[in-house]
Amino acid sequence: MHSLIQLSIAVLLLPLLSFVILIFFNKRLPRRGDFVGVGILGATFALSFYIFWSVVVQAYDPSFRIAWDFTWIDFGNVPGVGPLQIKMGIVIDNLTAIMLAMVTLISFLVHLYSTGYMAGDPRYGRFFAYLGIFTFSMLGIVLSDNLFSIYIFWELVGLSSYLLIGFYFEKDSAADAQKKAFLANRVGDIGMWLGILILYSQFHTFNYQEIFRNLADGKFDMSEAWLTAAGILLFMGCVGKSAQFPLHVWLPDAMEGPTPVSALIHAATMVAAGVYFVARIFVLLTADALHVIAFIGAITAFMAATIAITQHDIKRVLAYSTVSQLGYMVLGLGVGAYSAALFHLVTHAFFKACLFLGSGAIIHAMHHEQDMRWMGGLKKHMPWTFATFTIATLALAGLPLTSGFMSKDAILAGAIGFANAEGGGIYYLIPFLGFFSAMLTAFYMGRQIWLVFFGESRTHLKPADDHHHGHDAHGSHGHDGHHEEAHGVHEVAWNMRAPLVVLAALSIFAVYSPDPLDGAKGWFMKMIPTPETVVGSASGETEHQTSSANQNAAHLLAEAVPAGAHRAETDAHHEGVASETLHGDDAHASGHGDGHGHEFADPRQAAIAHDAHEAHNLAIVISSVMVVLGISLALIVYVFRVIDPDRTAQVIRPLYLFSFNKWYWDEIYQATFIKGSIVISKVLSWFDANVVDGLVNGAGALTRRVGFATGGFDKYVVDGAVNFTAFFFNTSGAVLKKLQTGKVQTYVVLLMLAVMGYFIYYFTQLIY
Amino acid sequence: MEILTNIGINHYLTISALLFGFGLFAVMTRKNAIVILMGVELILNAANINFLAFSKFNGGMEGVMFSLFVIVLAAAEAAIALAIVINIFKLFKSVDVSTIDTMKE
Repeated sequence: MHSLIQLSIAVLLLPLLSFVILIFFNKRLPRRGDFVGVGILGATFALSFYIFWSVVVQAYDPSFRIAWDFTWIDFGNVPGVGPLQIKMGIVIDNLTAIMLAMVTLISFLVHLYSTGYMAGDPRYGRFFAYLGIFTFSMLGIVLSDNLFSIYIFWELVGLSSYLLIGFYFEKDSAADAQKKAFLANRVGDIGMWLGILILYSQFHTFNYQEIFRNLADGKFDMSEAWLTAAGILLFMGCVGKSAQFPLHVWLPDAMEGPTPVSALIHAATMVAAGVYFVARIFVLLTADALHVIAFIGAITAFMAATIAITQHDIKRVLAYSTVSQLGYMVLGLGVGAYSAALFHLVTHAFFKACLFLGSGAIIHAMHHEQDMRWMGGLKKHMPWTFATFTIATLALAGLPLTSGFMSKDAILAGAIGFANAEGGGIYYLIPFLGFFSAMLTAFYMGRQIWLVFFGESRTHLKPADDHHHGHDAHGSHGHDGHHEEAHGVHEVAWNMRAPLVVLAALSIFAVYSPDPLDGAKGWFMKMIPTPETVVGSASGETEHQTSSANQNAAHLLAEAVPAGAHRAETDAHHEGVASETLHGDDAHASGHGDGHGHEFADPRQAAIAHDAHEAHNLAIVISSVMVVLGISLALIVYVFRVIDPDRTAQVIRPLYLFSFNKWYWDEIYQATFIKGSIVISKVLSWFDANVVDGLVNGAGALTRRVGFATGGFDKYVVDGAVNFTAFFFNTSGAVLKKLQTGKVQTYVVLLMLAVMGYFIYYFTQLIY
Repeated sequence: MEILTNIGINHYLTISALLFGFGLFAVMTRKNAIVILMGVELILNAANINFLAFSKFNGGMEGVMFSLFVIVLAAAEAAIALAIVINIFKLFKSVDVSTIDTMKE
């Protein structure tokens, strides 16, 4: 076993150890055992960082991959299924290493932060235990090498999410939110499981690499539509977990959980698991499935951005912004911008965790006030929070010099390239929605920054009867002056400040790439190259048939080898963008490295990569313009007050309400699925009460009738026979008793009569 | 008087039948156990007359021997029967057979 594998097993199991210790013994440990959680997560992060360092920095090989597995359960040859062998395994490649470091770092920071934020909570120890099992499950997803084990860990993160959303389960809203999250996830997971079964039924393996190899060898016997269906069904798991349209409704409600949980689970890691999973199965997605994914992502990004504009709750704005950014990632995967989508996953995880932890600091400082209308003027009270929050906001809005700019720009460039390569038309909707959402993002984040940090404190404006504060309040939170005015606001302690600083630092461009305008030059996108598809597009089908299958599989495994070779050429290309645009497809087909240093055998992928590279500068320009537009609009509306937001809302009231009520999705689901379920259950209840119960009662009544009938038979016929026999012998005995007088002379007379009778008989016989 | 001069077996049998009838009548009608026993003696003697009559007209001695046996038997029977009657009298203070019907139970 490779030493990195051993380390990764330790990384996986350490948070589980933390969970076991804390869930059973937190009340017996000093400080409710928070140091156990923080310490173990610190060690986990150290080990993960070592893995990250060894894999990404030292090996610096895009095709780095080590794997290990063992047979967990062997069912032998199951009738009707075929050989069923369930394996568990670990795979470490660049993506895994980066995700490991990211998840453990954010988890560690959130643990540290929670020691401040959750202090004084009655279930303080349990909170850390839940964080531990969540981290364990998430690392399980990251390390899994097959669909079966990822499904197990997938459900485990669903469970941890459920536990943590409902951490304040005394509140009905939290209990409802946790149920909603669990059920919405379940809908997606059913699809995911069906997708796994489709693939399993064909290949009798759950392992990614084996499935890909089989697909590349053309061993998929069913029609192309089934493969598309499998891809879309697997994507449904992502729709549920990553809160994509139409299952996005649970994520904003999940903000009922404590804010560190929102940062860790519902912004940075768990919701990104869906994107990570789609990236893992990326190569088996057909062009049709990718189109569906791209459109779902674009719709999600746009819809959530429009909703975020009008929300008042600081965490809800961030929640919708998370949904929107997840939509970007899914859009990125859908358009084939694989590296960019994963890049955005990582950069988003850091800056969004920073934003959530920052909002937690604000909520903490404001004594559990979450409504932005009653905030304002916090800049001077909370300088550290302000600075980090602003950096993260700029990253989220996608301003140049931040990490978010590079990743979002790469996705949008991919979207333009995709639309060009697909021949325009409806496909231009995807980059359009992407850019428009980028503007909206800049606008609502500008609005948030202004409402929270600038201006005068508006705490006193809050209506006295408005009890909406304390969405996140915990029962015995030991703050004096809970109802004090804003002058009680204070900067948070070091253990809450340090994570903010670390996360803000990770939102700077320099961490990822030396060139602030091009993420493709950074180590990240070099280490995570877009893999070669194993299913091929329609036009690539002929090529697949002609080329030998083994060669194709070998290409899959060694796909990134040319990447290094062409790396040197990339810079040259950037200096000569004008000449680059003159390059035709022929130039690329002749083995000339394109902008991503990458050659694709599949013509569709090659065309998209080519067009995306050409669109790179265009995307930079458009997205910068959009961001500037959005921020200026926010400035105009909220700083210079040229446009009064309230009056504007009145003018476009239907649109405002449409956005404010979250596109009425909750109401639509209430009216359709929930009401529908209630109607169905009523029908079933009626069926149960009348038909099933009727059957049972009928059977009972019938049995009773039969019982009475047999009882009557017993009583009258059987008993009657017995009684009649007794009566007969009684009566005949009484009659015959008369003959038995006991007097000797009677017997003598009878004797004589008998003799005479005999004689009479005898003589009559003689006569005749 | 041909009948008187030629006394045949019919005469004997007629006497015997009459004697048997009287004995049986006594057994059936009398209430006194002693008189019933006397009726029984009459019946036995009617049988003896029959034995002797058939013996006389058949020419053998077997009838005579049988009648002697019957006389001995009658003596023994009388002794036992009288003993039973005495015991009945001791038990019931009566020899009236119509009142003695405990066998019925």
